[in-house]
Amino acid sequence: MSTTDDLIEQLAASAPPPQRSLGRFLLPLAMAMLLCTFGVAMLLEGAFAPAASDGLAPIMVKWGFSLALLAMSAGALWAIGQPGRRTSEATRALAIPFALVALLLVLELVVGGRPFPGTTWQRCLIAMAMMSPLAFAGAIMAARWLAPTQLRRAGMVAGLYGGAVAMTAYVPFCPGHGMAYLAVFYCLPILAMAGLGWILGPRLLRW
Amino acid sequence: MDVLDDLMAAARTGDAAAYRQFLAEVAVRVRSRLASKIGADSELEDLVQEVLIAVHQKRHTHDPSRPVAPWLNAIAGYKLIDHWRRRGRSPIELDDSADMAVAADSMAGLDVDSLLDQLPDHQAEAIRLTHIDGLTSSEAGEQLGVGTSAMKLRVHRGLNRLKALIAEDEA
Repeated sequence: MSTTDDLIEQLAASAPPPQRSLGRFLLPLAMAMLLCTFGVAMLLEGAFAPAASDGLAPIMVKWGFSLALLAMSAGALWAIGQPGRRTSEATRALAIPFALVALLLVLELVVGGRPFPGTTWQRCLIAMAMMSPLAFAGAIMAARWLAPTQLRRAGMVAGLYGGAVAMTAYVPFCPGHGMAYLAVFYCLPILAMAGLGWILGPRLLRW
Repeated sequence: MDVLDDLMAAARTGDAAAYRQFLAEVAVRVRSRLASKIGADSELEDLVQEVLIAVHQKRHTHDPSRPVAPWLNAIAGYKLIDHWRRRGRSPIELDDSADMAVAADSMAGLDVDSLLDQLPDHQAEAIRLTHIDGLTSSEAGEQLGVGTSAMKLRVHRGLNRLKALIAEDEA
């Protein structure tokens, strides 16, 4: 028992507590976003070139999905990182953007699909595969600063963030359009990254 | 209002005495909460200390607008599960006194070295250090670079294996 008392003395004598800071949590997330954005911009040319022929609408639809997922996953990760918070609603809500895509995909298939998969899908997959892990690493760093007690859930949400950032960065260069394209070449890689996060969460986030 | 909330609020302003009192209260609550879930006293105390360190290191994750108790319980629960995970799925009752009470003469006449050779190296080493060289579990753990609980577990499993080996020999 005395060693526990000694420990309490030691801990109490140490530096004053660090402040609870949303900024400190958001910093690695923002760094990951910047890194991916500049990374894609340096590797590829012709940002917004697809808008010249198709207008801005396809880009806006994709960004609508990716930015919603990005913001929601960052919010969920913030909640999951704080012990004792209810996080199931925030986690379940992350299915909403995917459900909307599924709904629109069904409508598109009923109305008559667009040409699929187009010619640039390989580049899209490569961009997702390269950038998702980078942004995932940023989300893991952000989560490690907090104290997630559900490591698989936290890992999965970090994976969704990673995928959402990669998609956001690559979208201006993507000439592919249509819901089938979005579902197959964006949603599936994002879900794969989330699955990887679910598997790796307990290893990467243990504290 | 929970006393933990008051103490945490005071600690946040830099009041070291309040923080000391907060940690002491945390230790009492965690100990009583985990007592029924952990077998040996020494293991419980190890876990209480782990929770204290976790609470200290992660205290910036507590939202001042929320009560401390659910936050603390989530951390204690996490550390308990982590403890079980590290120790293996099956919670084993570790009884130090029973392990230490294996009397020296019960092994008299046995070729202890050859028996120990039949154990996995880490278990044999653990038994040599604690039962032949006479170190305590924490001293032996320090020497091998593992925690006291892990050390005790190695000794416990090693002794069980030894007993089984002796029983096989006698049969």
